Amino acid sequence: MAAALVIETLQAGYEPGLPIVRGASLQVEAGEILALLGPNGAGKSTLVKAVAGLVAVSAGRVLLQGADITQVPAHRRLALGLAFVPQTENVFANLTVAENLELAAALQGVKPRQRLPELYRRFPDLDRQRSLRAGRLSGGQRQMLAIARALILPPAVLMLDEPSAGLSPRLVGEVFLSLRVIRDEGVAIVLVEQNVKSALAVADRAAVLVEGIERVVGPAAQLQGDPRLAELYLGRRSVTAPAGAI
Amino acid sequence: MLQVVADGLIVGSVIALGAIGLTLTFSILRFANFAHGEFLAWGAYLALSALAAFVAIGGASAADATGWAAPFAPLSFGWPLVAALAVAMLVTALMAWALDWTLFRRLRVQGAITLVIASFGAALALRNALFFLYGGIPQYYAQALQIGIPFLPRSVYGGLRFTPDQLFVLLLALLIVVAVHLFLSRSTLGRAMRATAHNPALARISGIDPERVLRATWLIGGALAAVAGVFVGLTVQIRPTIGLDLLLPLFAAAILGGIGSVWGAVLGGLIVGLAESAAVTLVGAEWRAAAAFVVLIAILLVRPTGLFGEKS
Repeated sequence: MAAALVIETLQAGYEPGLPIVRGASLQVEAGEILALLGPNGAGKSTLVKAVAGLVAVSAGRVLLQGADITQVPAHRRLALGLAFVPQTENVFANLTVAENLELAAALQGVKPRQRLPELYRRFPDLDRQRSLRAGRLSGGQRQMLAIARALILPPAVLMLDEPSAGLSPRLVGEVFLSLRVIRDEGVAIVLVEQNVKSALAVADRAAVLVEGIERVVGPAAQLQGDPRLAELYLGRRSVTAPAGAI
Repeated sequence: MLQVVADGLIVGSVIALGAIGLTLTFSILRFANFAHGEFLAWGAYLALSALAAFVAIGGASAADATGWAAPFAPLSFGWPLVAALAVAMLVTALMAWALDWTLFRRLRVQGAITLVIASFGAALALRNALFFLYGGIPQYYAQALQIGIPFLPRSVYGGLRFTPDQLFVLLLALLIVVAVHLFLSRSTLGRAMRATAHNPALARISGIDPERVLRATWLIGGALAAVAGVFVGLTVQIRPTIGLDLLLPLFAAAILGGIGSVWGAVLGGLIVGLAESAAVTLVGAEWRAAAAFVVLIAILLVRPTGLFGEKS
């Protein structure tokens, strides 16, 4: 059976000839959380945006459950099973909570009555705030709404760009707990995180990206306390272990 | 005094319809389309041509039309103008979409400034095409003179009169605004348009086809502009400079109401209309345009995002 998501020597960036992601290759299986770590400017966000179709890909391929989606427009990828929750502005602040979810359902041809009750049960805070404009939600509630929107059509792959940014430790715990539940339902999760400790605690595997390419990939449990992690974050070039060396 | 308010509401309802299309274009396509006023002018003239065609098909002139072409008393027009309005809405909507297809689409990657300059050029071309095709002499949908119906005597705040056509304009404008509001708040496409206006990237990854939203924006904006143009023709006169004359009030209304807000554009249009009407009566007709901008500046000083605008 094909992996949920395969990224093959991907190059991507915002300006032609200036790639930020420089040949990254990763694989995520169904039912696992892959934490994507790395220092600021390593290209983590650019990589997930490129996989989502928001950043131009200049070389390489993206395979979703074995199918090449590299050239598929961004607006068709959700229907194929690839959901993405951006770091900021990840809900439509000018729509209410209910409108956000109903729009997501309508766009994917899902009857709101079929899916929304389940999502409201999973995220009870959203249920209580249905008629509130999403722009008025707290940071944690916004994150929940963004995740709920991404789950409107049960995805094969869910990518999240720093879902813990700006949240209190308690809320980070809640968000990560919900990710575990989603993972246990068989969804492959790619989690971009700056908070290394929290990310390694929730992830099954982790990849460290430096200068647009993965330097270390391995089980999260083994990466915790690995001295090379600190060296990569501090920018020492001596660590050049190939991917999967752990 | 009351008449000033009534005149302001009629002018304002025309501005509001035009400003809705402008604010949608501004918020979704992210550029100020200076050609939008010309859609009003083209709408008015397309309706004039369609009206002539329908009356000709009916076998009667507009002045002495009977039967199918007879006016709905006490209005100055009948079925031919209603059908002409529908044709004008359709053709102007397609024209707006075609302008995007042939001009703006190619320039979109160049950024907003290029698009704004291109829209200036498009406005010049569209306006001069009207001069070329129809000439500069003002025209009317009906030659019959309409007498205002007194609603209040002069002893009550100076009295209040409306012509039947003016009442029709007010009522239809209200119905159209409610319909646009329901479309944007209840339909999937309407919600997708609001979502795209708020965050185009998030809209794409949510499954919203950006081309579909752009197409809908041009079609709706063009159709509403045509209605506004026909309203100008009904309540004032048809001339090729309708778009140029209304362009600044349209922008004032859209900005005053808050870019992207339909109700903001409506309220902005009414405020601009009232300010213009008050200026004509109280200060002089030459201050008409200035009054709208004094109100605009005053409101933006207090609320920089406009009445219904949200901080980005």
